[in-house]
Amino acid sequence: MSRKRKILSVKNLDFSYNSRKVLDNISFNVEKEDFISILGPNGSGKSTLVNLISKVLIGYKGKIEIGGRDIKELNPKDIAKMVAVVPQYTNPGFSFTVAEMVMMGRHPYISRFGTEEKEDFDVVRGAMEKTKILPFANRKFTELSGGEKQRVVVAQALAQDSSILLLDEPTSHLDINFQIEFMNLFLSLNKKENKTIIGIFHDVNLAIQNSKKIMLLKEGRIFNFGSGEDIINRESIRSVFGSDVFIGRNPVTKKLYVSPVFNPGVDRGISSQTANKYLRVHIIGGGGAASPVMNLLHSSGYMVSCGVINTLDTDLDTAQMLGIPYVTEAPFSPISFVSQNKNIEFIKSSDVIILPAVEFGPGNFSNLVSVKEAISSGEKVIVIDEKNIRGRDHTGGKAEKLYRRIIEDGAIVVKSINEVLKHL
Amino acid sequence: MATGTKTLRYIFILLLILILIIIVAASIGAAKVSLKDTSLIIASFIPGVNNFINVEDLNPLDIVIISQIRLPRIFLSIFVGIALAGAGVIFQGLFRNPMADPFVIGVSAGAAFGATIGLVFITGVGLLGISTTTIFALLGALATTFLVYSISSARGKVSVTTLLLSGIALSAMLSAMTSFIMIFRVHNMAKIIFWIMGGLTAASWYKFNIIAPMIVVLMIISGFYMRDLNIISLGDKRAAQLGVQTERVKKILLIMASLIAALAVSVSGIIGFVGLLTPHILRLIVGPDHKILYPTSAVAGGIVLLMSDTLARTILMPREIPVGIITSIVGVPFFLYLLVKSKKQVF
Repeated sequence: MSRKRKILSVKNLDFSYNSRKVLDNISFNVEKEDFISILGPNGSGKSTLVNLISKVLIGYKGKIEIGGRDIKELNPKDIAKMVAVVPQYTNPGFSFTVAEMVMMGRHPYISRFGTEEKEDFDVVRGAMEKTKILPFANRKFTELSGGEKQRVVVAQALAQDSSILLLDEPTSHLDINFQIEFMNLFLSLNKKENKTIIGIFHDVNLAIQNSKKIMLLKEGRIFNFGSGEDIINRESIRSVFGSDVFIGRNPVTKKLYVSPVFNPGVDRGISSQTANKYLRVHIIGGGGAASPVMNLLHSSGYMVSCGVINTLDTDLDTAQMLGIPYVTEAPFSPISFVSQNKNIEFIKSSDVIILPAVEFGPGNFSNLVSVKEAISSGEKVIVIDEKNIRGRDHTGGKAEKLYRRIIEDGAIVVKSINEVLKHL
Repeated sequence: MATGTKTLRYIFILLLILILIIIVAASIGAAKVSLKDTSLIIASFIPGVNNFINVEDLNPLDIVIISQIRLPRIFLSIFVGIALAGAGVIFQGLFRNPMADPFVIGVSAGAAFGATIGLVFITGVGLLGISTTTIFALLGALATTFLVYSISSARGKVSVTTLLLSGIALSAMLSAMTSFIMIFRVHNMAKIIFWIMGGLTAASWYKFNIIAPMIVVLMIISGFYMRDLNIISLGDKRAAQLGVQTERVKKILLIMASLIAALAVSVSGIIGFVGLLTPHILRLIVGPDHKILYPTSAVAGGIVLLMSDTLARTILMPREIPVGIITSIVGVPFFLYLLVKSKKQVF
């Protein structure tokens, strides 16, 4: 069954450029009407793969078959009838009209000694309708806006009447509204016109939201190939792109959502070099006050833990997204002895305890007690005194009193999150 | 609109203009012949029409002057103009560069060097009645083109930038060598300079019969690649994605255009600006589509060179001015005027 529907097959594909291996043993199959996104950092071989499939590049090892035919045996016109590429930029040397540009897509169908037939004009008109460029068919391509130009280029590719559309970062230079507009166009072409779509997308989320399958490319190899649900996670993104991300879910579509972890004010490169990777830091959480410092220390490379936080707390989301250990308590409940003891265990095994500007009430007062115990037993405590404790004290003065005792007992007081790093 | 009918309409208008100018050009010169007599004499050479025309009561000398002196020159200048403008369109399209002309890859310097050697070192004998200068000019043009092309296609692909650079470099060297020869052969200097400035004084039906068919054949072959040339102007990679055999087409067009330019140069010397400006002027009128631009530019190139040559041989009668001077002095201001007036962006 699946064998029958196979439209593109790549087997053991190797490609080197000036003795540098760009693609290394790439094998995969694409089925009819698939929507596949190829993701990977610059230099991972994405564009090379697209160029090989469209036979713009030759000199590879391995086999590429389109519709069961080896592309080595196909001439450029045959391939252009089966595979249409949408490039990132198109820059004509002369100011052709929109209609002339779209007609160029019919080149594979017009013989050298022939001329445009009625069918060619019909296909061109259809392509211009689908991309909504018919109203400016006679305008100069060079005078159009970036988004309009790209619609013309998509129409040019549609005029090729191919079963496969290869998208080579088609929207990465466009504004978000155009990115969405084009993605909707590609989706409808995929669903209504049964086009098989293979695309390189700059925007990871745009790709995961819409593709049926994702291919992760890393240094010329397929890192993983499958549905977004199966292969997109924090580890795979870190492995392939080398960046730290949160993986969440789009609340509306319930699809995976990738968001980069930004660490404010800190040069990542330097901080991660100087960070003592084995330093264990425990952060007292609550009401989201711990999230910025959790993010900062985690991305700087420290071993971070957090507690005690209530289940519906923002700090818990942060801890979960960053994948750091935490101690929780049921929502809106005071901290139980069990949780407090767990928290104390974390505190004892840590080198540094950090107390962010948490709001204190009767429910989480025991967190403060735990910190007091820590400083009394000689542990290093850093207090982030961003907001006056009086305003954060909802216990009628109890918390403020204990807080001041902690500082008197030798806790390091800093005024902002960024200062924390200096004391580690 | 189908490009075919649009092209035919433009070509028809241009041919009408050309015929009118042929009649005018044939009638003027040192010996005055009326427009009516000139038309009759020309018509008497057209098969089929000549049955209805009686030229017996015309001055026989006029018939000889027009048919043996003026018409060969007129037709040779038309075909040189066609060749230069056609090659100009192809080079501008291939290089995507408005500065490209038929001589961009060294054809003119090669031809000038060849012609100089022919003029200076080899005297008298010609081949098949064609002067050594012409033959050596052709050889020089072809050798230079071949060399430039070999340098730029060293790794299987033709690099446009290398082509331009090696063309400019080789041209500079050949011009220097031409100057070097001139210094040591001062008595030949005037001849060489006159040749380089371009002219059609030595036109004959014989020359025309050899050169014109070759130009026509090469031009027609190239004409079948104009759709490809349109697409190549989007860039080599995009053209390949749209099914164009980019490298093959580039090679064919480069060779064709170089041959066309070499043939023109070998009979006329270096006539500047026709091949550069005519395509630009036509692009302002008919648009950038090479399927229309190529044939219309070619005919217009014929018109431009015929007009220039007619001026060259008549304005300072009985003296002749090298036609290259006319094309530049008259052509350039006209082009600049169009450039300023036209709000259309062509490149």
